This record gives sequence, structure tokens and C-alpha cells, in this order.
Amino acid sequence: MTAPTSSRQLAWVFDLNKCIGCQTCSVACKVLWTREDGEKQQWWCSVNTMPGLGTPKDWESMGGGRDPQTGAPLPGHQPTREEFGGGFDYNYEEVFYGGTGGKAHLEPQGPRENRWAMNWDEDQGAGEWPNSYYFYMPRICNHCSEPTCMEACPTGALHKTDDGLVLRDEEVCMGDRFCMEACPYKKIYFNYERNVSQQCIGCFPRIEAGVAPVCVRQCPGRAVFIGFLDDAEGPVHKLVKEWNVALPLHPEAGTKPNVYYVPPLAPHRLRDDMSIDHDTPRIPKEYLESLFGPEVHDALATLKSEMETVRSGGSSEILKTLIAYRWHELLGPFTVDPATLTPEPTAHQET
Amino acid sequence: MKVERVDAGQGLADPWGQAWSALPATTVALNPVDYEAQPNRYIRAAWKDRPYGQTVEARVAAASDGDRLYIRVEWPDDPRPNAEFQDAASAIFPMNGTGALATMGDPEKPLALWFWEDGRPSPLRLVSRGPGVFRKDDGSELSARGACNNGAWGVVFAGPEAVAGKGKVGVAIWNGSNEERGGLAAVSQDWLQLETAEE
Repeated sequence: MTAPTSSRQLAWVFDLNKCIGCQTCSVACKVLWTREDGEKQQWWCSVNTMPGLGTPKDWESMGGGRDPQTGAPLPGHQPTREEFGGGFDYNYEEVFYGGTGGKAHLEPQGPRENRWAMNWDEDQGAGEWPNSYYFYMPRICNHCSEPTCMEACPTGALHKTDDGLVLRDEEVCMGDRFCMEACPYKKIYFNYERNVSQQCIGCFPRIEAGVAPVCVRQCPGRAVFIGFLDDAEGPVHKLVKEWNVALPLHPEAGTKPNVYYVPPLAPHRLRDDMSIDHDTPRIPKEYLESLFGPEVHDALATLKSEMETVRSGGSSEILKTLIAYRWHELLGPFTVDPATLTPEPTAHQET
Repeated sequence: MKVERVDAGQGLADPWGQAWSALPATTVALNPVDYEAQPNRYIRAAWKDRPYGQTVEARVAAASDGDRLYIRVEWPDDPRPNAEFQDAASAIFPMNGTGALATMGDPEKPLALWFWEDGRPSPLRLVSRGPGVFRKDDGSELSARGACNNGAWGVVFAGPEAVAGKGKVGVAIWNGSNEERGGLAAVSQDWLQLETAEE
């Protein structure tokens, strides 16, 4: 396969040490992009607790991606409506207008068995008290450099833009869903009402207007960066290429994803006598390696070393960047305030 | 296959209506769409050891009211439930006089598909240049209606008469129970010649 080419590659960095799982990014994305017919259960940006089964349920065991030896795309499972879950109808009428007072409670309608949804296993995590652990992981389409979704599509509905985004032409998509099988990250949804697959569009209309994607701009924790990977002065390039503290998720899937994560540090482990064990990480290093590859150990060591430098009175460019004192630095070249844009008139707007 | 001449409004839209029971139907042998021609290595890898296109035959009948061509296709339903994929069928026409049914056309000799899918609100007109290598085209003049009856699907396609005349027709069946879509289908072995009845 000849890898699709783009002039430049947009990339995201999510700092998992700053993500508080508030779902502002996911809700902002939901409000902006997935409110049309058949999009009720779609969360192009989802935040789940790790370790966990995630969205769709147990997505990490659904296959897809590329063979590490041959580069050939690997068969995968198409996540079902039930595995994504969500899109519930609620008993609003009964609770708010039914006159049942405190007896009726707001709850999803339909069968209770096998119920699932985005963030369903929130904060369950793993480990035993007092050493239980979890962290939050926002996920969007990885806009891969060698996307298997694109290769698996028989109609050519997917393409890489000049900015490196993977976009779908819904007029061309037949809803065959081979893309959903082949994606190792299972971030493609099916619209059962419109018979097309859909996924994160990288907020390309905002990008074209110089506005950062909504998951980046709305993050209250300043935990998300966007920029071009080859912009040597930008924080994304520095975090990924220079300092090597931001890593791709499941790099072994072989699609060269362009969403990177600053891996999570964790509180120190406590011994049985409640003394602090400085030598054993609370999040098992094998688990982090299974997510981010063996480079995670060097990344964490760099972060710890930089923190020590600052504690000792020194200065750290890495930590200054991650702290993001200047909010606009997270936005890369996309610093236009969306409130300053003049919206295009639409058919139902009076002129 | 003779295109029977009927009066307009004779109830041909109903696949299980009386109008069709009086018209002759032809049994058409079907084969799986060519595996080697499947359009990419992902689909070939995923379906390497997995049978598809196992619907072995369909009954096909044709009629015309002088304005619109009606094609009725009937085939046995696979009763296994599948919540994700739906049964579907196509009436297939060559766009340049002929074309390869086994591969659903090719880039030089594309085929036109009238495509019906259970649950899809309206049929599509597709231009096919290979197995599942489809482009949606203007299907606004098409109509289709399908219904399952006693373990068999009946689907009636209706479209402009212009494609009939001395033309040919083939059919394709997608078994949703077997997750068939795109180029994973059963397709006619041979073209059926459409012979318009003399008035």
C-alpha cells in the first residue's frame, strides 16, 4: 500500500495528567457536531476511565490495524449499536410532569440488561484500596498517517486532507462499515438512520477559519494541544518529537496515529503500614506499556526528572509548556476567536 | 426474458400482489461475486475463509406499462437474525451494452444498479465499477418495494422504460444475516435478455 500523503500533519496532544474527566470536550463536540438524525449515540470525542472497557465496550479487543510484519490491514470486529450503547430515551415526562413526586427517578428507558454507554464504567479503574488507580483518556479519531479505514473502504469515501485529517464524503459512503472493522481504535460510528458511517472531522470548518477544534479550545484544564507536527516552534512538535513525552496510543496497531498522550503519573504506592513506597508505581508499568509502548518509561522518567528539577529550584521548559501559562499556546496557529466570525447566512435565517 | 406489457396502475408495485402471479418468471442461477476481484486487501483478508453469496437462485419477472419498467425479484430469506445488516437486492443493467456481472462491472464497462435495501427509505441508483465499487447516482426516478412473505423476499423495482428495449438485466442479492454488503453478494451468472412484447 502506498501511504496517503498530506502536505502537513495536524496532531493533538492530550495531557493525561491534567485531564480531569469533566467531559467538557466530549459535550462541546456533541453539541457542535452530532445532533442530527441518527447521531444520538455518537460521541466523536469520548472520555473514558482507564483501565476500563471503554467506548465501544471492550474496543481494545476488537482487532483492526496493521500486521506489524507485513503492514497488511488486519480483520477486525464491527462494533455494534449495543456495544457503543447510549443514545437513551429518558422518562422526562414521568419525572417532571407525571405528578409522581420523588417516587419516579430519571433513568434510561428500555431493557436494563447489558446496558452500556460512553463513560459507563466511569471511575471504576483497577487496583485495591489504598492503591486503587485510574485516569481519564479522551479519544477522538486519530487521523492516522496510514489509516486502515481508508484502505478498507471500497467506495473511496475517505481521504486525507492537505492538513492530514481523515475525512469522509458522506455522499460517497455506502455504509458498508469495513472502515469500522479496520479501525484499531474503533472511533467510527454508524448512522442507522442515514446509512453512513461517521467520525470526528477534526473540526475542519473551524480549522479552515483559523479556529482551534472545539475539544481543544473548550478544555477548562488546558490539557489539549493542537498544531502541525512539523512546526518546530510549536508545543505539539516539541512534546512529541523533541522531548518525547507525548506518545501515540497503541502504536503497535501500525496506523501511525496523530493523537498523542502525555502518559499519567500516579500517586505513590502505599505499603501495608501506609508508608510511601517510592519505588513501585501505583499504575503498573506493564499496563502503561500495553497502551503506549515501551517508550512510556522514558517519557515518565523525563517528566519525573523535570519535576525534580523544578522542585530543586530549577526551570523546566517541558513543564512550562505542559502547564500552559499562556492559553493561546495550546491552540497552535488556530487562535481566531470563533465569536468574531460572521456566520454564513442559512436558509432559515432572515436577512 | 419477456417483458410483459401491462396496463398502468395494475398493481405491479406490490411484490406479492395478484398482478405478478399471472406473469411468467424465470429462475436465475446466482454465484458469489468474484473473490479475487474484491476491491482491496482488507476485504479479501476479512472474507478469505468466510462464505458469502450463498443464495443460489432467484426468480425474476419483468413487465412494462409503456412508461416504466418493472422488475420483480424473489429469493428465499435467511431467517437468522442480524441487528446490524439488512437484506438487499439489485436489478443490474449494463451501461455500455455489456459488462461483467461476476465482478459487478469494471472501470471500463460499468453497470447500473437499482438498489433496494430493507429499511432504507428509498432505492438508490448506483454506478458499479467493481465489487462494491459503487457511486451513488440520481435515483429520483426509481421506486422499489420489498416484503418478506412465507420465508421469501419479493422486491419490485420500477424505473424509466428507457433502459429496457433490447437491453439486458441481471440481479444481485445481499444476505444481511451473513453481513453481506458492498461486493459481498450473490450475482446472476448470465445476463437475461429483456424482450419487449409486441403491442
